[in-house]
Amino acid sequence: MRPILLQGHERSLTQVKYNAEGDLLFSASKDDTVNAWYSYNGERLGTYSGHNGTVWTLDVDYQTKFLVTGSADNLMKLWDVQTGQCLYTWEFLTAVKRVAFSEDGELIVCVTEQRAIAQGAIRVFKINRENGQDQDPEPISMFHPIGSKATLAAFGWDNNSIITGHESGKIAIFDTKTGEEIQTHEKAHHDSVTDLQLSPDRSYFITSSKDKSAKLHDSRTLAVLKTYTTETPLNSASIAPIRPYVLLGGGQDAMNVTTTSARQGKFETRFWHKIFEEEVGRVRGHFGPINTIAVHPDGRSYSSGGEDGFVRVHFFDESYFRARPYGELEPDD
Amino acid sequence: EDAAEESTVSAELIAARRRLIDEWNAWRAKVKRDLREEKGRRHQEQGHKKEKVE
Repeated sequence: MRPILLQGHERSLTQVKYNAEGDLLFSASKDDTVNAWYSYNGERLGTYSGHNGTVWTLDVDYQTKFLVTGSADNLMKLWDVQTGQCLYTWEFLTAVKRVAFSEDGELIVCVTEQRAIAQGAIRVFKINRENGQDQDPEPISMFHPIGSKATLAAFGWDNNSIITGHESGKIAIFDTKTGEEIQTHEKAHHDSVTDLQLSPDRSYFITSSKDKSAKLHDSRTLAVLKTYTTETPLNSASIAPIRPYVLLGGGQDAMNVTTTSARQGKFETRFWHKIFEEEVGRVRGHFGPINTIAVHPDGRSYSSGGEDGFVRVHFFDESYFRARPYGELEPDD
Repeated sequence: EDAAEESTVSAELIAARRRLIDEWNAWRAKVKRDLREEKGRRHQEQGHKKEKVE
């Protein structure tokens, strides 16, 4: 099936994400907006406008009630998904680089950028789910990872732990309430960590890095379970349900490579076997690096957002589900 | 001879892949058991809290 091209953003995409049911896809962009799309036909449900800077990040809660966004305008905003109304705004001294809901939608973790005027910070907010407009301006906890800047964060195994990804290639686990660093892996990657996505049960997660590799880690110990080594800097990595694959996206910017002409329109999403650590296929399409990838929660389609300003929604055909490149050797899940 | 060698290599490769699958399955089974236990414990704790309130 041909991919659906979602046209509506005027600049590059920063993050795409499905809601829990998978009927909606959300996309954040450098054009200062977030869009919601019907994932099955690519029709636009609406636009969330109000930020005055690149929207770096978004997340949607398990009920598809609230959307949270973080932007270069130093604001984090909570939105009503259905009406598109901005319910609440938090303001910081620096840009918001990453936001994520806890599994139960009760908490939001927020990463703000390190600048001369402010230390990089990770804050956790308790969300009033009854009245979205009545939020506590103050976080329930705030901490400053020392050493390398944190750029990514998500709730880990449970609400008590926050997994972080850092500019140095480090990953760590922090205690949600005390901010204590519980686990750390200084050299998980050799260059900045660019994406961090958890498995559906949150027991393991994947990271991508500018060091051209992606890795699968245990959420409790940070032990490296698998390594996928490519030949291009990676911006995003996602774990596919149903089939034993991980999806990797990235690519060098045209201005950074000498042999550009041959690569036009050929920025590819790479499929790797999750267990055997071997590449099994590629899907091309974008005209610039792939910045963000999300797999539909039912595992039957995926979306990629590019530097080219497009979101492409790909539906897997039957051969994807039937193919057994390694014979009948299949993991249980 | 070549064919025999090839089939030995591929038998080794299949055995190696089989080990990787078994390793992964064993790890997943353990994690799922831990998750179930923890959810049960959390459920119980919440039950106790409620009892105290009442």
